[in-house]
Amino acid sequence: MIIKKQGVKLMIPAIMAACAVFICALFLNYRQDLLLIESQIIPEQSVYFEAMKTTSVVVCAVAGGCLLITTAIMLIFYVKHYIDTHKKQLGILKALGYSRVKIAANFWIFGVSVLIGTSVGLCGAFCFMPWFYDIQNKDKLLPEVTLGFHAELLVFLVILPTVFFMALGIVYAIFKLKMPVLMLIKENFRSKARRTGHINNDGLFLENLKKTTLKSRKSLIFFLMFASFCYGAMTQMSLSMNDLASPVMGGMMLFIGLLLGFVTLFLAVTTVVDSNTQTIAMMKVFGYSQTDCKHAILDGYRPLSYIGFGIGTVYQYALLRIMVDVVFADMENVPTYEFDFAAMFTSLVSFVIIYEIFMVAYSAKIKKITVKEIMLRE
Amino acid sequence: MIKAKEITKSYGREQVLKGINLQINDGDFAVILGASGSGKSTLLNAISGLERPDGGSIFYDNSDISGLSDDELTKFRKNNVGFIFQQYYLLPNMTVSQNVRMGADLAQNSEYQSIIEAVGLGGKLNSYPSELSGGEQQRVSIARALAKQPRVLFLDEPTGALDEETGRQVLDYIIKLWNDKQFTIVMVTHNANIAETAKTVIRMKSGKIAEIYTNDTQKNSYEIGW
Repeated sequence: MIIKKQGVKLMIPAIMAACAVFICALFLNYRQDLLLIESQIIPEQSVYFEAMKTTSVVVCAVAGGCLLITTAIMLIFYVKHYIDTHKKQLGILKALGYSRVKIAANFWIFGVSVLIGTSVGLCGAFCFMPWFYDIQNKDKLLPEVTLGFHAELLVFLVILPTVFFMALGIVYAIFKLKMPVLMLIKENFRSKARRTGHINNDGLFLENLKKTTLKSRKSLIFFLMFASFCYGAMTQMSLSMNDLASPVMGGMMLFIGLLLGFVTLFLAVTTVVDSNTQTIAMMKVFGYSQTDCKHAILDGYRPLSYIGFGIGTVYQYALLRIMVDVVFADMENVPTYEFDFAAMFTSLVSFVIIYEIFMVAYSAKIKKITVKEIMLRE
Repeated sequence: MIKAKEITKSYGREQVLKGINLQINDGDFAVILGASGSGKSTLLNAISGLERPDGGSIFYDNSDISGLSDDELTKFRKNNVGFIFQQYYLLPNMTVSQNVRMGADLAQNSEYQSIIEAVGLGGKLNSYPSELSGGEQQRVSIARALAKQPRVLFLDEPTGALDEETGRQVLDYIIKLWNDKQFTIVMVTHNANIAETAKTVIRMKSGKIAEIYTNDTQKNSYEIGW
């Protein structure tokens, strides 16, 4: 049932996992193979050798590691969101006499999306590696690094994450299903609002709704900011690192940045709209226009997305600065690196265009929401 | 005056409304009575501008709303009608006051607090829906609809989710409101007892109007069975 209904959405964490494992596998495997030639390194090559080792770890930790953590957070959020929005169905199953463990056992399926994603990422990395190794070996600055397979990567990048997320889905479902049946069944429309700080009853409805929408799902703020962060950081990095790295690296960064930006933005905005279907439907029943609905539900996220883009800009500059000033500090003929305003401008303009296209698309989705949808959910 | 002429509506192959003709006068308290599946809620959705009928016309005075676009229907609802549903549909993350402002802001009604007080929730302005009983939640949804100052108030089984005592209280409050303000009320119910509180009863059966009659005396909610 979960696969049928959530197939497309389950693809999103799978894509995230694939990107994360692709980068980690590529650089960790290269590092492991580098270590195998350590005994052949002559003193003149040691600086470059150490720089390559450090680069692998830095790229893996900063890019792959961040992606892995984000994928994990996204999946935890996704499992939680799925269970929270399907409490009613779960409550009915429980009412019919299915045990908690029996119902929760079905949530192993979330691990499958991780298995698919990480496997694709690992296979993709190994397909890409011969080309990647050729590029690294071309300069002949080090003895030839031969491509080898390291089984521990399969364990740490595929098997363990899969098992972790299978267990996570099951454990979280067991925890949630502790709730009494009636609470599960009724909670969709009687969800408890958290009292947070001062309540402003004087403000206009649309402004209050905008603030409440933002406050009610803080995790979505993170994902929207992360989407713009990825887009800003990765696209600018790929555009401004021409002198520092191969075009392949630049292309890879660009691809991953666009992919992560798109899928995260898609997931976050879809969740915002889905979780506010009842509110949007009632606003339309009362006579609020499509523009009003979009303003109250989606527009509050815009400034936060631009902040995410700004953080991404600073992050990519700091990362490249560290690479040039620290990692390659002892090497000769390292190109100078300055902040690339042209890259920032190109990235910002394309981001604004893409973001607004997304908003127009979701505004059209809002238009299709009717009061019947929420009545049918009853 | 609301006038429906030959209204038809189908979902898939099933025809839910089969050529409905009716007239509801200004200031009337009309109940659409019928069993489950008789088409009463579909009729309410059509005449209130929530859904477009497949055929026929719906006139508010001399304006036909059946051919309006989605945006035009939204504007029509904004200016003319209020809704109260069985399941309340309050916004869970907003307080009583903020929920009522949803209706009040549309009519630029700054007196909305007096409406909240009138429904007996003056002391619960800062409460969230989850902190209220079913009856209190329904009273918030009544206040929200009234704050919009609608010309016609549509109610879809407003007591359907409430226990008998709370249901009687809510119904009594609706009757009191109608007596005080004399705006048009159109209420859907499956409960023939509740229909005794109305002025006009439109009884539906299998997508058609079986009969329309006027109650000689309108009963209050404590004079009827439940």
